[in-house]
Amino acid sequence: MLDALSGKFPVSVVTGFLGSGKTTLINRLLKRPDMNRVAVIVNELGEQAIDNDLIETSSEQMMLLNNGCLCCVLRGDLQETLRDLFVKRRNGVVIDFNRVIIETTGLADPAPVMQTLMTDDMLQAHYRLDCVVTLVDAVNGLGQLETMQEPVKQAALADRIVITKSDLASNEKINKLESRLRELNPQAPVKRALNGEIELAFLIDVGLRDTRAKLADIERWLGVGTHEGADGHVHRHDQSIRSFSLRFDQPFTWETFSQCVEVLTSMRGPDLLRVKGLVNLEGRPGPVVVQGVQHLFHPPVELAGWPSADRATRIVFITRGIERRTVEQLFGAVIALSGQRDAQKASRSG
Amino acid sequence: MTTATLSPQAQAKQTLAWNMKLISHNELAGFGGIGEGINMQVAKDGRRILWLAHESAPKNFTAVDVTDPKNPQVIVQTDLPHEGVRSNSLDVVGDVMAVAYQTKKTGDKPAGMDLFDISTPEKPKLVSHFDASGPHSRGAHCVWFVDGEYAHLTSGSADFEPTHPNDFQFYRIIDVRNPSKPVEAGRWWYPGTHKGDSAPPPPRHPRFDGGYRPHNVNVYPERPDRAYVAYLDGGALILDISDKSKPKMITNWRYSPPFNGFCHTVMPLLGRDLLIVTDECTKDDGIDWPKLGWVVNASVETNLVPVSTLPLPPPENFTKRGGRYGAHNLHENLPGPASFRSNTMVVGTFFNGGVRAFDTSNPYQPQEIAYFVPGAPELSPKGAIQINDVWVDEKGLVYAVDRFAGGLYIIEMTP
Repeated sequence: MLDALSGKFPVSVVTGFLGSGKTTLINRLLKRPDMNRVAVIVNELGEQAIDNDLIETSSEQMMLLNNGCLCCVLRGDLQETLRDLFVKRRNGVVIDFNRVIIETTGLADPAPVMQTLMTDDMLQAHYRLDCVVTLVDAVNGLGQLETMQEPVKQAALADRIVITKSDLASNEKINKLESRLRELNPQAPVKRALNGEIELAFLIDVGLRDTRAKLADIERWLGVGTHEGADGHVHRHDQSIRSFSLRFDQPFTWETFSQCVEVLTSMRGPDLLRVKGLVNLEGRPGPVVVQGVQHLFHPPVELAGWPSADRATRIVFITRGIERRTVEQLFGAVIALSGQRDAQKASRSG
Repeated sequence: MTTATLSPQAQAKQTLAWNMKLISHNELAGFGGIGEGINMQVAKDGRRILWLAHESAPKNFTAVDVTDPKNPQVIVQTDLPHEGVRSNSLDVVGDVMAVAYQTKKTGDKPAGMDLFDISTPEKPKLVSHFDASGPHSRGAHCVWFVDGEYAHLTSGSADFEPTHPNDFQFYRIIDVRNPSKPVEAGRWWYPGTHKGDSAPPPPRHPRFDGGYRPHNVNVYPERPDRAYVAYLDGGALILDISDKSKPKMITNWRYSPPFNGFCHTVMPLLGRDLLIVTDECTKDDGIDWPKLGWVVNASVETNLVPVSTLPLPPPENFTKRGGRYGAHNLHENLPGPASFRSNTMVVGTFFNGGVRAFDTSNPYQPQEIAYFVPGAPELSPKGAIQINDVWVDEKGLVYAVDRFAGGLYIIEMTP
């Protein structure tokens, strides 16, 4: 049977505060010859929106860009638009796109967009989240991160962070911004773009493309911060965003693992900004990929095999105010309880 | 203003793919119209030779060396004796190939079946000709030959006079154990289709009289006592052939009308008590829609019950692209060293709907899992691809052919 991941269309979510240069970046990407079968979903087609020289004006909801790509203006909800796109593609009435880029509004919280891909049965059967790219303006970014919630969450949820307009700010200012971003989200690599130019490879194929993922693919997806510090802990200051990774050497039963997640999401769902990891399940040949955004988790996908000798469960957490210790204790308690339950079961059956 | 919705012509030009990727394409030396016969020979020297029967004259059959599927090479292409005959169907067992010949007019020749020695694939040697010509015969449309012993033909014969001119073929079992002297071992026809039958002639389809003829007969080594027969407007049948000299009908699922006839293939999913039954779309522009692939519960052989159909994109778009759109051939899980076999995954052809794969693990809700629809071939007389037949190898490579011009498409299912 076919691979559980490879047939899904990769979706990139491009987010960033107002004026951070999302449209410029997308336009640059679409001008590349290997990005000519993309469906772009934008929120508006204003003067600042997807390029005037790429699009001829239209009152339609879907347009063909000059480079052959498809542009959809989000009128209703994203769920409907993505469903409609898939059906139209299958029916062959629009281009046979192979990738979707969603541009969020500057004030948007990217979490609901990510959740849409995880929870709608049809969408999660046909699409996969490839990458959340967060753009931060070099000139105003630091101030925005200090004073507003949206940019903080956008950075915290990112797989990749791009600092834009770096030619307009001093090196010192950018360095400061960069270290602030690394604090917020140590897993996400940060790069600087000049006039929207950034290497394509930095932004695409970040998510797992098939269940035969290699170690490098997994490390790329999980992020750079997973190896920081012996305990996976990243030193934090007083800000509320926390980022850490946990390792468990003993395999889980699915029941125990899902119970851990259930307890965590029911107690602190809104503060569990992003979770991604590999879980070692008892008796399974490969790890199970888990990913969650706040209280919602993607159905687990089992990989064909472990990519290396390291078979430990490793999970990256980005939270709002939940400390590493809290999560560790919670997992510990659930594991202990399930151990007791198993022991009771064994004694009853014995 | 550039609208995102493509015109029907632009739609036909576009290649559509999902979970399938083209790895090579061969226009077969300019004779890219292939019928319903594909089979792979694993030659003694290890080469993998794909044998293809042409849809119509002037070509008879073509052999393509697909040992390197990225670089298929035509190694032999043969001609028919005249324009009034076509080969359409072939099968291969070891180094023996059976080819069916059907004429345009009754009474014409050659009509019947040839057996070739293909031990040197570049030089097929005729071993024998089984003559099925006759005043009311057009010869053989399809051959099923998988055990090296019996060929199952859908054919006319010199001594068969139908009650209706559309019913000129019936089921014939040909003993080829001596390949130089094939002889008929048994036959069966739909009651009432042969002059002199006590049964009355069956009713004609009110809109599309496709006739009462067997199209494909499938017989598997695992069930040597069963023939699964698609009988055009007569629907799907299962025959008991434990005595090859006296095939007996066990069951007949007739569904046309209300449907539009032309039952084409009955393929059992062995071990699952299921049949996949396909119709053939025979009219352009959606005139005879719906033409479907049916999933049929056969757990009680005498009471076949359809439980679902293979999901297809809606006809509104595809019927406007040119040519036919609807079900046709399947990869028939042939035995043989290089053939893919599955009792859950079904791969079929749908003319301008391309080649499509389905997971039937849940027979009540089969799922489409992959498709490949090539853009219209350069010289397509219909303006759209017309994928006619498909064969899948044991590695999962899909060999799909166009009916008119496109030739052979070798497709990889991803991953």
